[in-house]
Amino acid sequence: MSSISDDIFFASIAEINQKLTKSEFSAVELARAFCDRLETIGPRYNALALSLRKGALRDAKEVDGDIKRERLRGHLQGIPFGAKDLLAYAKHPTTWGAQPYAGQVFDYTASVLKRIQKRGGLLTGKLAMVELAGGPSYRYASASLTGPGLNPWDSTRWSGGSSSGSAIAVAAGLVTYALGSETSGSILTPSAFCGVTGLRPTYGLVPRHGAMALSWTLDKIGPICRSAEDCGLVLEAIAGAEFEDPSSARKSFYYTPQFARDLKDVRVGFAPVDFNEAVDPAARADYAKALETIRSLGVKVVEAKLPEFPYGAVIGTIISAEGSAVFEEMIQSGKVDQLADQHQIAGLKAGLEISANDYLKAMRIRALIQEAFRDLLSTTDVLIAPTRFDPAPKITQPLDRRAVDRPAPATPGLAALIPAGNLAGLPALSIPCGFANGMPMGLQLVGSPFSENMLLAIGKTFQDRTDWHKRRPPLATP
Amino acid sequence: MNRFTRRELAVTLSASAVLLGSLEGQTPAPAPPVNPQVSPDDELKAARAQLRDNADQLDKVPLSMAAEPATTFRP
Repeated sequence: MSSISDDIFFASIAEINQKLTKSEFSAVELARAFCDRLETIGPRYNALALSLRKGALRDAKEVDGDIKRERLRGHLQGIPFGAKDLLAYAKHPTTWGAQPYAGQVFDYTASVLKRIQKRGGLLTGKLAMVELAGGPSYRYASASLTGPGLNPWDSTRWSGGSSSGSAIAVAAGLVTYALGSETSGSILTPSAFCGVTGLRPTYGLVPRHGAMALSWTLDKIGPICRSAEDCGLVLEAIAGAEFEDPSSARKSFYYTPQFARDLKDVRVGFAPVDFNEAVDPAARADYAKALETIRSLGVKVVEAKLPEFPYGAVIGTIISAEGSAVFEEMIQSGKVDQLADQHQIAGLKAGLEISANDYLKAMRIRALIQEAFRDLLSTTDVLIAPTRFDPAPKITQPLDRRAVDRPAPATPGLAALIPAGNLAGLPALSIPCGFANGMPMGLQLVGSPFSENMLLAIGKTFQDRTDWHKRRPPLATP
Repeated sequence: MNRFTRRELAVTLSASAVLLGSLEGQTPAPAPPVNPQVSPDDELKAARAQLRDNADQLDKVPLSMAAEPATTFRP
């Protein structure tokens, strides 16, 4: 008889791994329980693209044999996980969330999946996503082959995107962790909306071979987990040099919280206006507490502001130009009209018309942005801001219009931190830090390139002192 | 891509069938809202206008000849 309790679905990687090695349950029992849950609950939230039960149970059997022979392969051994459906998994459908690619099958597996499987990770499912990772720009949450990602905290609201299924599955305890991807906000946004912890790694740290391209110069793959510590363990497995990825920074990552910089030496920059005026009023008390908690870590908290650039225009031009180039064949063939979102269809078509001059201008400004951030982060180690200033919108709400009518603050604060951080290739961590009318809110931490260990150390210490990341959504029982 | 034996293809297709079966309980996806006032042509015009607006904003940033495109992405 299976001894998988409900708590296991929300347990940390280390907790589950310990129970596996102590034989409190087998990897096969664990994989079966997670597959049951993913297949039963996942579709209710439009989170599941493809169940991989058969392969997961086969791999789990091997893990059980390895554990029996004391061939231990690290924390991820025997842990069920899911992957955004933009990652190729050999001989299985990889739809990129889009009708034109619904029958697509690759004969190779994405590097990140191979790396996790080498460590004994159990891939239980491909997870839903916004079509073509949202490029270039969608208006409705329904822009997905599997329908709108429904938020486990309130299924009338959106999960966020484009890594929708990844964040839903983690929040609902359908997998222990998941892989997502971010071009500009696609890990951080769904993580914040669903109340989970998401890490956007430094550009080039995690190999992208086998991942759908949307923007060659912006795409990153990263983990969505329940805690900063789990993000560190997953990042350690997936990061590192990769011959087949021309954008690889050829750097490894070792999660070493024990060697993290003394937080007393860390300067954290924030803009008061973000917390006092810009964020949803219903969440301000929780954000004030979050700031107090950050201060209590011993860091030096200072005021900061972003260098002035038209971040939205720069990143919009780059994603449109690169995204439309990536999908030129689909656009020219007319298959683009099979996409669900009219706004997105038009955006992809128009992107083909961007002039070389405009693209180069955007990339030249981007170089200035990178330089400005090098200067800023030489005096301030970490920038913090609300990940999103409002909670998840209703699924029918147009995403290109502001839903709230409160006046915009007089100064912008760090509101453009998501596009700015992506343009500069910076790592970011989003951690749950409170609620607004029952919906989760997140706090993002952004640091210098390859400062993931510092961000994770701050995130872990914050989570040692709070329990937002342990909250569970009011799920319908299977 | 797509170099399969017949056996592998059969396995793949059966996986797709499993997928369809497993998604039976899925929440029905509402049709994307369509604004009858906005035709695909209007959407395209709006997308082009957005790109022009982006270009106008880029034009306002002073750029010296020394400002080279960010072609190195290893910070």
